[in-house]
Parts: sequence; C-alpha cells; structure tokens
Amino acid sequence: MNQPDTILDMGRISKAYAGVPALREVSFSCERGKVHALVGENGAGKSTLIKILGGAVQADSGEIRFKGRLFTHLTPRLSLDMGISIIYQELALNPYLTVAENIFLGREPNRAGVIQTRHLRQQAAELLGKLHVQIDPDAPVSELTVAKQQMVEIAKALSRNADLIVMDEPSAILVGEELEQLFKTIQSLVAHGVTIVYISHRLDEVFQIADTITVLKDGAVVGSRPREGLSHRELVQMMVGRSLEEVYPAPIGQRGEPVLVVDKISNARLKNISFTLHAGETLGIAGMVGSGRTELARAIFGADPISSGTITIKGRLVNHASPAHAIRNGMALVPEDRKAQGLFTALPIRQNITLPILNRLTRNGVLQSKRETQVVEDARHKLSISMANADQEAQFLSGGNQQKVVLAKWLETRPSVILMDEPTRGIDIGAKFEIYQLMRHLNEQGVAILMISSELPEVLGMSDRILVMRDGQLVGELPRETATEQAIIERATSGVEVS
Amino acid sequence: MSSISLVQKRPFNSQRFWRQNGRLIAVYGLVVIMALIGVFFTERFLSERNLFNLLRQTAFLGVVALGQMLVVLTAGIDLSIGSLVRVSVLVSAILMSGDSNNTLPAILITLLLGAGIGFVHALLINRLNISPFIVTLASFVILRGVALTISTAPIGKASRETLLFYDQRVGPFSILFLLFVILIVTLIFVLRRTIFGRYVYAVGGNQEVARLAGIPVQRVRYGVYILCSLLASVCGLMWLSRMGVGDPVIADGLELTTITAVIIGGTSLFGGRGGVMGTIGGVLVLALLANLMVLLNVQQQYQGLIEGIVIVSSIALYNQDTH
Repeated sequence: MNQPDTILDMGRISKAYAGVPALREVSFSCERGKVHALVGENGAGKSTLIKILGGAVQADSGEIRFKGRLFTHLTPRLSLDMGISIIYQELALNPYLTVAENIFLGREPNRAGVIQTRHLRQQAAELLGKLHVQIDPDAPVSELTVAKQQMVEIAKALSRNADLIVMDEPSAILVGEELEQLFKTIQSLVAHGVTIVYISHRLDEVFQIADTITVLKDGAVVGSRPREGLSHRELVQMMVGRSLEEVYPAPIGQRGEPVLVVDKISNARLKNISFTLHAGETLGIAGMVGSGRTELARAIFGADPISSGTITIKGRLVNHASPAHAIRNGMALVPEDRKAQGLFTALPIRQNITLPILNRLTRNGVLQSKRETQVVEDARHKLSISMANADQEAQFLSGGNQQKVVLAKWLETRPSVILMDEPTRGIDIGAKFEIYQLMRHLNEQGVAILMISSELPEVLGMSDRILVMRDGQLVGELPRETATEQAIIERATSGVEVS
Repeated sequence: MSSISLVQKRPFNSQRFWRQNGRLIAVYGLVVIMALIGVFFTERFLSERNLFNLLRQTAFLGVVALGQMLVVLTAGIDLSIGSLVRVSVLVSAILMSGDSNNTLPAILITLLLGAGIGFVHALLINRLNISPFIVTLASFVILRGVALTISTAPIGKASRETLLFYDQRVGPFSILFLLFVILIVTLIFVLRRTIFGRYVYAVGGNQEVARLAGIPVQRVRYGVYILCSLLASVCGLMWLSRMGVGDPVIADGLELTTITAVIIGGTSLFGGRGGVMGTIGGVLVLALLANLMVLLNVQQQYQGLIEGIVIVSSIALYNQDTH
C-alpha cells in the first residue's frame, strides 16, 4: 500500500475543538530523507496536525502510518519512541541546566542511578559535532543565543534517534546568518536520511529549503506540490486566494511637519540616538535582534527610563516618565510581544479595545455600554476583525485578529505618533496586507509611524526612510529609493561577529 | 465576569452559554444540592430561625470574601484579613466602652484604621515591589501580635445601639444581610460599569500590558487593598455588634476561608477572571456546609474532611470544561 520510501502517511485526519472543526480529512505524507514544508495562514490547522503527530492531542478520526506501523492515535511517549521529534517555537529547554544535561534530560547515561558525567558530556559533544556547531556542552543553556538553543533542541532530537523532525516556525526566532546555519544543518540531517517537516510563514525560506510543499487552509489541504515547477505566485494564491501584487501599498510620498524629535537620548541600552519623525511618514528601523530597536521604542514611550537626551513632540519637551504620560501626548506603542505586552488574552475583546479611552465612554463615572458597543462595532468594521462576538476572550482570536485588536485599541486614542514593533510578526499574509493598508491610511491622515521590523522586505516595502541600528546606536540612514537588503545587512552587522 | 451580555441580540448559542457560565452554574448547582439535602434530611433547615441565621452568617463571611476577591482579581492576595478583623473588633470595643456617645467616633476610627492598613499594604507592594503574599503575610503576623498585646481575654463593650443593630430586621430579613446585599449590588456595578472595575480586571489580566496601555496600575492596587482592609474592619464591627465585647479569639483562619470562597466561586488566583456572583456562590456553599454539619450533627473531626472534599470536588467539577 505504501511506497517504500514513504516514512509518514497521515490519512484523512479530522479534529474538532468543542464542535469547531480544526482539521477536515487532512492527508499528509512525507518521503524519507526529504524536507517537506507545511505552510498556511494562522488557524489553517498546521499546529493541530503537528500536535496530533506528536501525540499531544488525539485526532477524532483518521489514521497515522509511520515507518510502516499503523496507529489510530499516538501518545507523546509513543511518538517519541517511534522516532518523531517536534521542535516547537517555544523551545523546551531548562535554562539552568547545561547543554549536555538538557540533551539527555530524562535519559541520562547512568550506572545504578548515578549519572556518568563524562559519558554525558562526551555523547553531547559528539552530537553537537555532527551538527557542525560550536557549542560548549557544559555551558548553561541560558547563556546561549536562541539560535544555539535551537541547535541544542535538534541535538536532543538526534540523541533520541529521531527519523522525523518537525520544526515549527524555526526561523521566527532567527536572524541573518543564523538562518543559513540552520539550513546547512537541515541539509546535513537530510543527507543522513532524517526527514524534516518545516513549518513557516516565510515563503522565501520554503522555496529555498523544501522538496515538497503542502498548503493548508481552513483545516483542509489545498494542495501538495513538489517545489520544482511551483512559482512563488502560485503558492501565495494557494495560501490566500489573493495575488502577491500590491502587498506593500505605495508610500504617500510627501511628509509634513516634524512631530517627534529625538535628540541624543541614552540609557543602559541606547547610545546617543537622534532622529526626527515627520507627520505622514513611515520611518523604518532595522537591525539585528538585540541591537536596541525595541529598547528605543520603549524609551520613547516612557516604558523604560532614559538617562540623558530629550524627546520633543510637536515642539513640546516631553521626556515621558510613564506610558500613561506618552499616551496623553498622542503616542501609541504596538509592542513586539503581543501576548505579553499588547493584549489582555483572558479579557473580552470589548475590554481590550476600549481600555485606554474609558474616560470618553463614561457619564458621571458610569460606563455607557451603548457607546462602548458602538466604538467596538466601528473598530470591528474599520479593521475587519473577525470575531464571534465582542465578549469573546481575545486569546481565541487568530494572531492577525489579535494584532488588529491591539491596533484598534490604539487607534481609538487618535494618536499622532504610533510606534510599531514587529507589527506583522506571526500573522498570516491576508492580515498583513490589511495592516499595511491601514498603515498607509494612517500616513495619509498625517499619523507618523515608527516601524521596527526584522523582515527586510517589509522594511523596504513600507518605509519612507530606514534607520539602521547596531549595539544601541544608529549606524545609518537609507532613503527608500536607494535602500537594499544588502545595504541594510551590511550596516546592521559590520563589526559584529555573527555565529 | 465574562457573562455580561451588552451586545445586541444574537442567537442563543448553548455551547457558548455553557463555556461562559459553566462555573457559575456549577457553584450554584452545588448550592441547590446542599439546600435540598437540608430540606430533606434535616428538620430544622427550613425553620424561619435557621434561614434567618443562615443568611446573617453569609454576611459575615461574604463581606470579607468580596474584599479578598477584589484583591485576587488583580492577581494579588490578602492574608491579613483574619488578624485585621480581630484587631478591629478589639479596637472598636475599647473605643466604644459601652457608651452610646462613642458609637460613631469608634466606628469611624476603626474604619480609618482598616483603610490605613490597606494603604500600607499597597504602598509596600507598589514602592518596594514586594509580593502581596509576603507583605500581607507579615501583616497577618504583626496584627495577630497586636491583637494578643491588646488583650487575651474579652475586652471593651459595645454600645447599646451597636448591640441592638445585630438583631434589627427589615421585613423578614436581618439588616446585616440587607446591607450585605447592597454591597453585592454596588460591587457588581463597580466592576462592570466603572472605569475602576475595568482596570481591576486589566491589572490582573496582565500587569505589563496594563502599564503599557497607560493604566494607573499602582492606583488600582491602592484601591483594592484599601477596600479589602476596609471590609475586614467592617466585619470586625459586625462581630462587635454580635458579641457585644471585643473577643480576641474570633476570625481565626478567616483569610483562608475567604480564599476558599473566592476559589470555589471560580475567580482565578492568577487574576483577571471571576466576579461577584461566583464569590457569593462560594460563600453560600461554605455557609450552607457549616449549617448542614451542625444540623446533621456531624462530629467535629469529620467536618474538616468533608469541607476539604467539597472544595476539591467543586473545583474538579468545572475544571473539566476548561480543557
């Protein structure tokens, strides 16, 4: 029944959560020793499918054939024992244990319960050597970069003799050359007969690394195609049913008065930063993770203190002491980590949206629920947020809709300056497109946007000007017309050792 | 509580209804079951006297449980409640010393004392960034010591008015119970319809998100801790009106009972979720349980066991629908 080289064959898998179908008769199969990309928008069912494979959740129907054995369902233990390893986005490492201890956690080489430390380190070193990465087996994991932590996860998978490794959005936490290192590792794994399932939003990567690409949409398979002969355009269309044209709406091209003037600000993470943001402009900030981009936004917003320098809004010295202060001065911050900083996941959508403007919605201190409902309904239409109802907890929305809720919250405060830190991280192409259009619309109304992003196409596509940061300093300004990915990367990395 | 429906009419969705109200239904289901046990297995449960007393008892636990709930909604906790109730009853009894002229000043000073202690709690948490658990644990120990220093035997005396107040009725209800109902309604209103109420949930939901949204997190914290301690002092005054003297052994372990009621009522100890109706359900469960065990002559040594089983099973019951 199976072709001899098919290692995994998931057949007609269906799964519903509380009556809502997440997967409908999904069939997915992988060839041994190949890279199989799984793509699709958020909520398409990718994670559910992976969780079923990892035994974390059980399918309602369907079957899984792995290395010739047939299962109706897997348990986490069984899945591991069969040689399936899943590397989730949130890495499952203990930060206080060493690399070697993490790799063999729960399976330490021992004699009568006493861990054989030398063995442990030796075996860990061998595994890391196979991956061609320079990692000290005795280093505590907390001292490693995320890229290296990811390698430790891969080593852990290898130590379990994994035949199939699933990587869930591995590139989301990587930058620049780290990604290339990961690709090299994947290629060497594949050469040794390991099968990789690679989940990603970023289509460029998928084209670079995958042998086969399967597209999921709304819990069903749209298609499964070899990369050869598949065009970028076709893939986007499979995913969203919309063509790639005009993903980045053209900039409005004229800027107004300066609204935000940052003059020589410094703090523990920032050195002497100065720039001016004009009305109606989108100013892009590029740089590696850790270059101080996020810290810059937080300092301007009053979330972190500054030790010297001045911040002026519309000619008025502000130097915000707190976010509340910055908000009163017409500022908004869309933070990088939506769940930890931007959204009350356990609160209803309604309360998320109206929180900063409750003052406007009260009469004699009493909330006017009709007016509140009106505000929420307006926001829902303006940003086309798809939700069951406004009393739904925000955590049940897709990433894109969550981000729209965060944006809706700030738009209600009618800001003149919006700081956006990774505004489209982890959201699907359709919602990205809508957010780009919204940004342009805001620019047209004279709103100034400071956009921090790790996605260079996004920086290049959306920014009027691009500032590049490195080590807490501004190291270059590039006008839209002449900016290239190459120019940004050179400025962002020169002098910095990238491992 | 996420169960408020302010949106325009929408078709009834039974699944959503269960998801949003499951906890409330579970806890009030338990209340009904216990009431039925009372009706069918005891003779005195439905007697006017028992019901009157039962409702009056709920006010004693309820007042402090609601204070605890406010604090827990902001992801905090107040372990000092029992000690503060005790200090309040002693202080008010001594200040009153049986003289009607002292009634009002004694009450005001006691309430001020409570509010002040709540203020100090919030101050320490806000300024020194000490966790609420530790701040109020210290306060629990200190206030217990203060109570012991004041007196180890009953002390002071309630004024005549204060004593009479305890048995006052409005229609068939105890006035204490009616005041409790007014408190319930007020708190529901405050939590659902005022900015402060929204901010309480926001701070508990995620403090960092709240700060970045410009919410005055520290002021919200002052609000809930002051209210919580104020309500503990109110409870102390209720005890004075009940006992007539400052009794230094009352309210032992009350802070844990309030936490139990809050948890049974479905309020998350991590903050941001829960509400008044659930907490009242939790209070009713505990009050009924105590009442039934007396009526059914359950031996003292089994009472703790049964209480523990009820707590665990009530929570196990609705934890299932959250998976």
